[in-house]
Amino acid sequence: MEEEDNNETILPEFPTGRVKKIMKLDKDINKVNSEALFLVSCSAELFIRFLAEKSAEVTKGKKRRIVKLEHIRIAVQRHRPTSDFLLDSLPLPSQPLDRPITDQIHPRPVTEKPVPAGTRRIDDFFNKSANKSPIQIDNEES
Amino acid sequence: MVTSSGLLEMEDNMAAGASINAQYDDDDNYIREQERLLPIANVVRIMKQILPPYAKISKEAKETMQGCVSEFIGFVTCEASEKCRKERRKTVNGDDVCWALETLGLDEYAGPMKRYLHRYREHDRADHRANQEKG
Repeated sequence: MEEEDNNETILPEFPTGRVKKIMKLDKDINKVNSEALFLVSCSAELFIRFLAEKSAEVTKGKKRRIVKLEHIRIAVQRHRPTSDFLLDSLPLPSQPLDRPITDQIHPRPVTEKPVPAGTRRIDDFFNKSANKSPIQIDNEES
Repeated sequence: MVTSSGLLEMEDNMAAGASINAQYDDDDNYIREQERLLPIANVVRIMKQILPPYAKISKEAKETMQGCVSEFIGFVTCEASEKCRKERRKTVNGDDVCWALETLGLDEYAGPMKRYLHRYREHDRADHRANQEKG
C-alpha cells in the first residue's frame, strides 16, 4: 500500500472478509460500513509496519538478526498507547535465556581436528576401494 | 486461497499455541484461527517490507504479530463502536474509526487514516456519479 499524491487507489493487503470477521468477534459490535472496514484494514497494516519497525530497532540494538518475541515485547513497552492495550496479551517468554552467543557466531565444525601423523580415520577402514587415497574433507571450502 | 504451505503454517500455529492466539467464545467453543486472525503470510509479507533484507523473524514472533494485529483491530473497533452506542447510532463509519484512533493516542495512524477516508469518499462519490450517468 503506497501513499501517493496522485489518485491511485489504495488497496489494503488483507482480505476484507477476514478483517470484518475479526471486528465482529465482539458481540457488541452492530454494523460496520465499508469505509470503516477499509480504514480498519489500512490502519492494521500501518500497525504491523510500525511494530515491525520498532521491534527491528530492538533487534538491531542487541546485535541480533532474528526478530524475536522479546524484541516485540520491548518495542511494545516503549510505546505507551500500544502498551496499554497490548502488553498483557503478549505470550509469556518461552525460554528463560538466549542461547550462548558463541553458538551463534562460531558454529562448531563437524570434523574438528586433523588426524595425528601415521594414523588414519576409522572411516577409511570402511572404504571399499582401498587403492584410492582417502577422501579428504576440505573444511576451508564454504 | 489457501496454499499447501499456508495449511502447514496453520497446523504449526495450532501446535505452537501462542497464548495471544488462543481464543474461546462465550460457549467455550474454540474460535478457529481462520476466524480471528489475519493470514500469517500477509502479516509476514508486510513485516518483510519494513525489515532489512538480512533480518529473519522467529516463528514465535510471526505468530505473536498475527495475534497483535487482531488485538489492535478489536481494540479500535470496540472504541469506535462505543462512540456509536453513546450517540445511538447502529453503524460504525469511517469518522468513528478516525476518532477512535485519536482517542486511543494512536495519532500516527489517525493522521493517515483521515487522508485515506477523504480519498475513499471522493472515490465513492465519483463511482456513484458515474453509475447515475449510465442511467
